Amino acid sequence: MTTYAPAPRKPLFGRTMSRNKMVLAVARHFTMIVVLIVILYPLLWMVGASFRPANETFNTLSLWPGNFTLDNYVDGWTLGSFTFSRYFFNSLLITLLSVVGNVIACALAAYAFARLEFPFKRTLFAVMLGTMLLPYHVTLVPQYVLFNELAWINTILPLTVPKFLATDAFFIFLMVQFMRTLPRELDDAARLDGCGHVGIFRRIILPLSIPALGTTALFTFINTWNDFLGPLLYLNRPELWTVTQGLNSFLDATGQSTFGPLFAMATLSLAPVVGFFFAAQRLLIEGIATSGLK
Amino acid sequence: MTIQSSATRRRHRTVAATAALGALLAVSACAGGTSVGEAPSGDEVVDGQGEVTGSARLAWWGAGQRNEVTNAVADMFEEEHEGVTIEREFADFGAYFQRLNVQGTSGNLPCLTQMQGRQLNDYTSRNLFLPLDPMIESGAIDVSDIPEEVLDTGRGTDGNLYVVPYGAAYDALVVNETLVEQAGSEMLPEGYTWEDLQSWAMEMQPNLPEGVSALSLSGGRPNFLISYMAAKGETLFKDGKLGFSEEALAEYWTMWEEMRKAGATATPAQMSEQPEQPEQSYVSRGVTVADTAPGNSIINSQATLDGLGNGQTLTSLPLPSGEAGPGNVLFTSGFAIPVNCDNVPTAAAFIDFWANNDEAAAVFASSNGAVTNSRHLEAQLENPELPELRKHDLELYQQIAESEPPTVVYPPGYQATFEESYTRAYERVSFGEVSIEQAVSDFFTEVNAGLGATG
Repeated sequence: MTTYAPAPRKPLFGRTMSRNKMVLAVARHFTMIVVLIVILYPLLWMVGASFRPANETFNTLSLWPGNFTLDNYVDGWTLGSFTFSRYFFNSLLITLLSVVGNVIACALAAYAFARLEFPFKRTLFAVMLGTMLLPYHVTLVPQYVLFNELAWINTILPLTVPKFLATDAFFIFLMVQFMRTLPRELDDAARLDGCGHVGIFRRIILPLSIPALGTTALFTFINTWNDFLGPLLYLNRPELWTVTQGLNSFLDATGQSTFGPLFAMATLSLAPVVGFFFAAQRLLIEGIATSGLK
Repeated sequence: MTIQSSATRRRHRTVAATAALGALLAVSACAGGTSVGEAPSGDEVVDGQGEVTGSARLAWWGAGQRNEVTNAVADMFEEEHEGVTIEREFADFGAYFQRLNVQGTSGNLPCLTQMQGRQLNDYTSRNLFLPLDPMIESGAIDVSDIPEEVLDTGRGTDGNLYVVPYGAAYDALVVNETLVEQAGSEMLPEGYTWEDLQSWAMEMQPNLPEGVSALSLSGGRPNFLISYMAAKGETLFKDGKLGFSEEALAEYWTMWEEMRKAGATATPAQMSEQPEQPEQSYVSRGVTVADTAPGNSIINSQATLDGLGNGQTLTSLPLPSGEAGPGNVLFTSGFAIPVNCDNVPTAAAFIDFWANNDEAAAVFASSNGAVTNSRHLEAQLENPELPELRKHDLELYQQIAESEPPTVVYPPGYQATFEESYTRAYERVSFGEVSIEQAVSDFFTEVNAGLGATG
């Protein structure tokens, strides 16, 4: 009869594993940091270039500004007939209205598709998803004609009113998927306690859908903040310009472009997006991980 | 069974819904096409006479300094005509035309729409602009100081004048004098030809520092081809199709391929990475000795080069000549009045003001191509405060204008079809994907199918 003594080997094995794990973790992190630096390099170069004198913008690939200057920020902020504070205000206003509109309207539409029974529900759902297949450019001209007839050109209405009408099919879809995972028993319990649809929506669905709402808010924020074509078409007067239009006004392929101030203002215009992203990051990951959009 | 059939039913319904949606879209898309170009009926003539009052929209492309001077001219016009407001819209060149196309579809073009010859006939073929000849006859717009061949660049394919060109751009060969001297070469002589340019570049190349090429690989630049064909005496466009022969294009690309294979140009990979703003071009960074570029861009390029601090200087020459004379053509910019404009008298008065007012011209100072009004050009050249490079730019324009350059009328679809296909076709050659003959024949088929289509 042979006796086995496996016990002493375990810690040895475990130790080797943990050392291996350690090495692996270091290697993995090192690789990720290298990749991150490669990805971030253009962004960091832009930040560096925003502190270089204007005519030295393209002279170096290094990140560190040799002749440090803040002129680009001063010149950029005051360029043109209006300052960037005006453009930032306009952008913020449109972005906030869009976020509020999208979150409310898409949540309501999603609740209907996820919980209510009504005629042609599947057909309408298919039509809604169908609108996602249409490229933006297909609807561009009809939309412009419509808003022109309504005399909404040179107002922020074409950029904000549609958001209150649940026109972003992607976010409706996202929230429908999310709400379908919420147990119906909660609705039933609320109904027993006397809640109607409004009550169920407000007291049960909304609080549980925070991750999906957060994702919607974040994506709407980024999309609206970065949108250029929409403001370009509908906001022609300089006093209505958004930040993206302000940035475009530094560039001209047929004359003189001012890159230093452009990079300075581009750096500043990133701040709200990055800030909003950090604030909503946790919700974003939860929202995507739990709504089946893996 | 039941599950399966209900799933099938569901699928049927979804398919039906999607089909219905598609049909709906198709119907709405068709219905949109007819409202464009509500042109006044043929016998109605708009002569631009009337009271100059109320507001008019003014749209132009540009950035920074050009926006400032354009605004200043608009302010001067408002001061001169009490009760007139000029509403301004401006954007970068690319974005400007993106917006203009959409505005054009719904009859919302600005009363004063800035145009270039290359895009003009995309609009005139859809009857979006008013002919300006009646306004010139009625005296609302005075063009007597603009040379005839420059004025003709504002004409459409139908021969009517739609744009009064106020600024004329031309392409020039921008050359880094310092590098030429260091390589021990001479500057290109006056009246040099394409053959001269080729041998000049190939002889200079071995004497250039490592990493510097004699020329950019510009076989894919439409403007360079246009000037080559003009110098050869070939017609560029005829009846909305390409007017030059396939052999001429093959010959042109063969010349570029010879230079590329001899290492006298930048590589195709470098060319595809070159940014479009003049400040970032290879000539501006001293890594290419010579390249074709808009004449006024030498000022921006020199500024970038100065930032490098190696003391190199640029100069510009007319483009190469050929059997038919100098190869330069003019690219003019000016204002057109759309048919949907409800304030034609003010728009006409503004065009007249822009073309003839001495103070306005002095303020604008040829910010978008050299001023076309001969009197203003003289005045600006005599201005002692004129920077040296700007003076050189204006003198070169004067020289080109005096040589009576050929007028190119670009057919509708030029920008969308010709420019895109041309650059792509040469890239296929230079990256070694297809033979020159194949690329030429593909290019002709593709462009002739797309040009002139008003669709």
